[in-house]
Formats: sequence, C-alpha cells, structure tokens
Amino acid sequence: MTVSLEINSITAHYGTTKVLENLSLLVKAGELVSLLGASGCGKTTTLRLVAGFLTPTSGTIALGGKDLTRLPAYRRDIGLVFQNYALFPHLSVRDNVAFGLKQRGIAGVERSMKADDMLARVGLSALGARFPSELSGGQKQRVALARALVIEPPLLMFDEPLSNLDAKLRVDMRVEIRQLQRANGTTSVYVTHDQEEAFSISDRVAIMHQGRIMQFDTPEELYQRPANAFVARFVGFENLIPMKVVARKGEVATAQAPGGVTLDFPQRRFGAVPDDFVLATRADGLAVSADPASAGIPCRLGLRTYLGRAYQYQCETEAGHLIANGSLAEPLASGSAARLVPVPEQCCVLKPE
Amino acid sequence: MKNWTCWALAAPATIAVVVFLVIPVASTILTTFGDPKGVFAPYIAFYNSGFRRTVLYRTLEIALITTAISLVLGFLAAWIVANAPGRIKSILIIAAVFPLLTGVVIRSFAWMIILGKNGILNSFLLWTGAITEPLSMLYTEGAVIVAMVYLFTPLMILTLVGVLEGIPQDLVQASMSLGAGPAATFRQVIFPLAVPGLIVGGVLVFTGSFTSYATPQILGGEQQMMMGTFLYQRAMVTFDWVGASTIAAVMIVVTFAVVLVMSRIAQRLNPMAVS
Amino acid sequence: MSGRIHPALVVFGAIVFIFLVAPLFIIVGASVSDTPYLAFPPRGLTLQWFWNIFAIEAFRSTAITSLQLAVLGTSLSLIIGIPAAYALNRYRVELPKWLSTVYVLPILVPEIVFGFSLMKSVSVGLGTPIFLSLLIGHALLVLPYSVRVVSASLASFDFSVEEAAISLGCPPLKTFFTVLLPNIRSGVIAAFILAFITSVNDVSISVFLTGPGISTLPIQILAYMQQFFDPTIASVSVLLMIVTVAVMGVVEATLGLTFLAK
Repeated sequence: MTVSLEINSITAHYGTTKVLENLSLLVKAGELVSLLGASGCGKTTTLRLVAGFLTPTSGTIALGGKDLTRLPAYRRDIGLVFQNYALFPHLSVRDNVAFGLKQRGIAGVERSMKADDMLARVGLSALGARFPSELSGGQKQRVALARALVIEPPLLMFDEPLSNLDAKLRVDMRVEIRQLQRANGTTSVYVTHDQEEAFSISDRVAIMHQGRIMQFDTPEELYQRPANAFVARFVGFENLIPMKVVARKGEVATAQAPGGVTLDFPQRRFGAVPDDFVLATRADGLAVSADPASAGIPCRLGLRTYLGRAYQYQCETEAGHLIANGSLAEPLASGSAARLVPVPEQCCVLKPE
Repeated sequence: MKNWTCWALAAPATIAVVVFLVIPVASTILTTFGDPKGVFAPYIAFYNSGFRRTVLYRTLEIALITTAISLVLGFLAAWIVANAPGRIKSILIIAAVFPLLTGVVIRSFAWMIILGKNGILNSFLLWTGAITEPLSMLYTEGAVIVAMVYLFTPLMILTLVGVLEGIPQDLVQASMSLGAGPAATFRQVIFPLAVPGLIVGGVLVFTGSFTSYATPQILGGEQQMMMGTFLYQRAMVTFDWVGASTIAAVMIVVTFAVVLVMSRIAQRLNPMAVS
Repeated sequence: MSGRIHPALVVFGAIVFIFLVAPLFIIVGASVSDTPYLAFPPRGLTLQWFWNIFAIEAFRSTAITSLQLAVLGTSLSLIIGIPAAYALNRYRVELPKWLSTVYVLPILVPEIVFGFSLMKSVSVGLGTPIFLSLLIGHALLVLPYSVRVVSASLASFDFSVEEAAISLGCPPLKTFFTVLLPNIRSGVIAAFILAFITSVNDVSISVFLTGPGISTLPIQILAYMQQFFDPTIASVSVLLMIVTVAVMGVVEATLGLTFLAK
C-alpha cells in the first residue's frame, strides 16, 4: 500500500527562532523526494517534524490522508534511517532489525524469520549474531536500512544517511537504497546537502533555503531551468547578469547590462523577457569569441585554466566578473580582448532578486 | 632516548606510589602471615571470633543496604536531572555537588543533630504525639545506614547523570520511530544501556561504605563497630597491629574482589565502549 | 534526554533532593541556637558559638595545618602527577598499560588501610616527623585526581601542536610551559580544586598520622564532637560550608560546574 505525504503550511520554531515558515510539500505515493540545502536551511527540521520529534507551531502533516500532526513519534509508523545509524549497541544485528517487529507484538518465530529475510535482502545474512560495534560503516548502514524497512512503513525517511561513508561506498549505497525503495514502492523523503546525491536518487527535489522551499521539481528541471537566482547559483550557474530592456522592436527586445553593453533577445530563442530580468548562464553558456564584431559582451580575458573538454577563462567585463568556456581549438592569451556571446539554449531568463 | 624520557617523566609519581603505598600496604599484609602459630593463624582467629565475624557481617550488610538504596534513589534522581530543563538541571546538579564537596565529618555530624535526643526528628515526633519519650536513634545500624545513603547518593546521582546523558538521543528517537513508547523505550533501550553505569556506581558506593571510618565512628560508635572503626580501635587503642593488619587484609581482599569482578562484568555489558 | 517525567517521579525526586540539602540547612540553624546543646529549630539566636571557635586555640592551629597540608600536598601531587600524566598520554605505546593503574592505587586501596600502613611503615618504621608523614599521605591520596584529571585534558590535546612549536625552534621545556601548559590549564585548575577539597576533608588517613601537637581540622572536629555536644561544631561546619560555596563560585567562574560533575 503506497500513500502520499502532505505537509500543509507548516511553521516551526526552536525556542523563539523561526526555523520553518509556511512550508508546504506534497510527496506523491511511491515517490522519492529529496530535501536539499545547506546546513541550517530547515531540511532536518522538516524531517523531525514529520517523524514526530518536533511539534509545529502551526500547520498539519498528513500521511495517506490521516492527520499525524499531534500523534506521538512511536505511533506514526515511519521508517527512519539516521545519519549515524543509531543502532542499538546492546542488541545483536538480528535483534536490532527485529526491534520494531517486537514493538508491534509479532511473535518470536515470525519475528526472527522476518528479520532474517530482511537481512538477506540487504546482504547481511551471515552477520545476524554480530553486534553493531563489530560492523563496518557500510554494514551498519545496511542494518539501519533493514531495521527501517522490516516494519514495512508507509513512509521511509533518510537523514543524511550516507554522509559518514567514503566516496565509493556512498555511490554504491545510494544505488542500493534507490533499488530497494523502487522495489517496495515506499514513499520516501531523503534529506541531504549533497547535490549530486539528491539529483541521482530522487524523483523530485526540493531545494531549501532559510526555512523555505525555493523550488520543488524534477532534477532535470532544476538543473536546466532554475526558477530563481538562488536555485540558479545553487545548481552551478556562475554568471548572473542583471539586464534592463531599453527597446522592443517586433519580437526582439534589446536589453542593457551594467556598464552599458546592449544585447538583443529574440523571443523565438530566449522566450519573452520582462522589462527587468537576470540572465543566468553556466560557463558553457557564454561562448568566447575573438571576433570583435560578434554580438556579445566585450571583455578582457584573465586567467585561463584547462578543463579537459574546454578552456575556462576568468573574464573582466563592464558588467562585472564573468566565467566563460572557450574552445580547445583556439586558445586565447590572457590579457587579450574578446567578446562573450550568450548561447540561448544554455541561458535562463530569471526574475530579478 | 625516547624510552628514557618517558620513564624519567613517569618515575617520580611511580616511585612515590611504590615506596609510600605499595610497600607499606604489602608489608601490612605480610605481617599477618608471620604468626608462629601458623601462616593463616590470624585469619583463623578472626573467623573464630564471634565478635569479629559480627563486625564483618554488619559491615557487609550496611554496605549492601546502602548501595541498594543509593542505587534506587540515585537512578531516579539522575533520571530527573537528565530530563530537567537547563536551569533546573544546573540547580539540581549544584544541589548534588555541594554535599559532595562538604566534608564527611560535617555531613555525618548533621545526622547527629537530626537523630540526637534533642534532635529535630525526636522534637517533631514528640510534638506530633507519636512518642512520649525521645527515642535513642544514634548509635544504631539505622543511623549509620541513613547517613551513608546521605553520603553516597550525590556520588551516585552524578555518576548516573553522566551515564544517562551519554546515551545518544538518536537511539531514543530510533526506538520511538520503530514504535516503542516511552515505557518500552526505557525498558528495552535506556535501562540496558545504563546497567554498566549502575554497576560502576554500585561499586563506588559499596567500596566507599565498606571501608568508611568517619561515619560509623560518629554515628555508630562502639555499639555499631564496622571494619573501619574496628581497624582503628585495634591499631590505636589496643595496639594489636597484627589484628589490625588482618582486618586491613580482609578489607583489601573484599574491595579488590568486588572491583575486579564487577568491573569485568560492567565491561562485558558495555557495548558502548567500542564503536 | 527529553521525555515527559511522571508527576509521581517529580515528587519523589524533590524528596531526594530535600534529603540531600536539608541536613546542611539544619546545621546552619543549629549553629545559631543559644542552647548549650545542639538543637534544631534554634530556641534563641546567638553568634556566640562562632566566637567560641576563635577562642579555642586547637581550631585555629589545626585549620592552619589543614591548609598547609592541602596546598603543599596538592602542589606536590601536581608536580609529580603532571609529568606522569604527560608521559601516559604522549608515550602511550612505549609505556606499559598497568602504569596508569599504579596512579589510581591510592583511591583503590581503602583509605583507612593506606593510613594504617603509612603509620606503621613510615611514621613509626622510618620515624618521619608528624607533619612530613601527613604531607606524604595527603600528596599520595590526591595523586589520582592530579593524574586522571590532567590526563583527561591531555587526551584531547593534539600533540602535533607541540611538535609544531619544536619545529619552529622552541626548546622542549619551554614548549611545555608556553604551549602545553596553557592548553591544559583548565584541567590543572580542576585537578587542583578536587585534590585540595579531598585533602582538606580527609579523615581516614590523617587519623593515623596526627600526633602530639599536630592535627588536622577534621580530626580536631571529630575529637571535639566526642567530648562536647554544644553548637560550636555546627558553627565550624558553617564556616567550612561558606568556604565550599566560595570554592564552587570559583569553579563556576573558571570552568563551569559541570566540570566537577564528570
């Protein structure tokens, strides 16, 4: 049975500090949604609210249409995977996994059978009698996962589950988590500060900042079409140039960057542009052209670094410091003049901040 | 060179302990084996004397009762301290630390005022009409036990607060998220994790009360002699040094045995030591 | 830890804490009673028992002895204890494991046995003067605190800092005083305070080592208590408790009281 999680305009405080403001989020049945953001953005608070370790000041949380807001944590039936695993050190691996079953009054034989089945699924059949202190980081993570999954919760939540593992294991484990989640179809919430991890594992990602969701979308949308300057910077748009439309002729708008350079924005290539907007690009979105006649931002090239697939230039322009990639075929000397031409497919037109 | 340095640094303290503690205590124990009537003669005499046996049993009894009561009081109080909000918690910790820093003599003396003939307890009982003649409560086993519990409960509280606060909050939350309510979480997670700490606290209190001198001296007197006061009496009043050494040896054997056995058990039960 | 506490448990806890604190207040009450015997609640109020302390020479001289023993004994224990603690942490591999147990022997061996043995072998056996015997006893009694508390703060000290200082041209001994000591300062202060209090309060060792003319305050109190039953002892206790409060104030100001809870 898969259910949806509805968070409705929740506000939460730590003491007198407001940490979440009017936050709403709908996680569809069977979906894996990541909460992504820097520490202090409210992602962990959101998770703790749903888990029942915190009570919101206002707003409601519902799972499968059932209101959870005032329910104590131990009645919520949510599987939790903790950052530092939180395995019970006094219980064997098998007893750790069976702990939740025991609380549900499942009798001894069935309990250990279920626990063993689950251990087999995470590949730890041989380690049931061991104690947590005798396990490696990856094994502990698997036990934590098994312990959360075995109670067959309608909702699974992960709190930075991979941050204590080394890089290689982290990639392996996230694939494994995704496969287990897919196989069970369990609705899941995944908290992380690692962008790559969030994008690779999730159906949708909510990027959070200062207790609010800045954008909630699929990884593809977020990566290619950030909705605002914050998200654009977050997903790696190095250049954000504020523009002001100075003339409109037919479907071509002419806009001016700081410093006075004007660029044309044909609607069929850039879409309709408002009078004030921010032109956001990654380094790839600005082509470096040595031709003084090309329609771009005049600049002086600074430091050149080799990226393997391109040369990257630090550029000084009237519109400020920009970063652009130039072709490997014609390396340009630092100090020479050039033009930076926006590549429409790789540009985003954003509302000003 | 390196090897030489580290031993040179450790030498003064090591030599001091060996010369002024290990050798004197060893010689105390050795003198008990020099009896012409046989190697174990003083111990046989100790065991055959009804009075000395009574002192040993009484001391064991008082120490065990004190330990049991302090464990219960200390654990419950520590639980409250560990769960109290910040400000109240610091007040409670001060309330536990202060008696601990006050001398044993003063703290035992307080019970003289409370339990004495003109003491507060007798005055109160007379006032309520529960008794018509003041009770003599001093120099009873009960007086010694009450004072010892009073003496050692703060130590137990502070030990156990440390233990309870050392239990990661994550484990409690993990237990809750798996469906265990407060009572089940206490029984299945918190208590088992606190057991090694309870053992450590119990050992501290047991050895402390088993070897105490000032409290039984003040509140037990001649009537309620314990091993500590008995040793003193043998050594300084009757000048029976072999007898005193025998008592000393028995005390050492009992305390070392308890410390070794219980700390071994605590270690085995302590899953938090690793990981 | 954060769980709701059952009200019955709160009541019970309150009783436990009243049990811990009330006797000390009772001493304060008894110290100002104008009865010639110990009484609580006090019948009439007087400060005469406080003046009585100063009238009795033995209290003054034993208080001075106790203070001297505590300062000298604690300092001695730190002078030999800090290098030992340093060696235990810095040369963990080179030194045998049992060595750290040696330094806790003074609290592992029953105090009363230690006092008796010291009296037999040192005071009587070697004929050491009374004050010196007491000093040896007190310095050893508090050695475990010096070694363990200083060790605890050394355990979190990164010894590569010391190597950095040496690589920058600071000689080892100077490094110890300019780099290491400032970093374990709070540990040394805590060790000093704990050791000082332990020494001042000691009964079980001193009782064997005091002799004609030289005694410590707790032993004097004990002796007085067994002869007289007037409130003088209550007033001495109050003075000592005031000192304890002052010590706690110093601890709170320098380290925070939680330090002592460890």
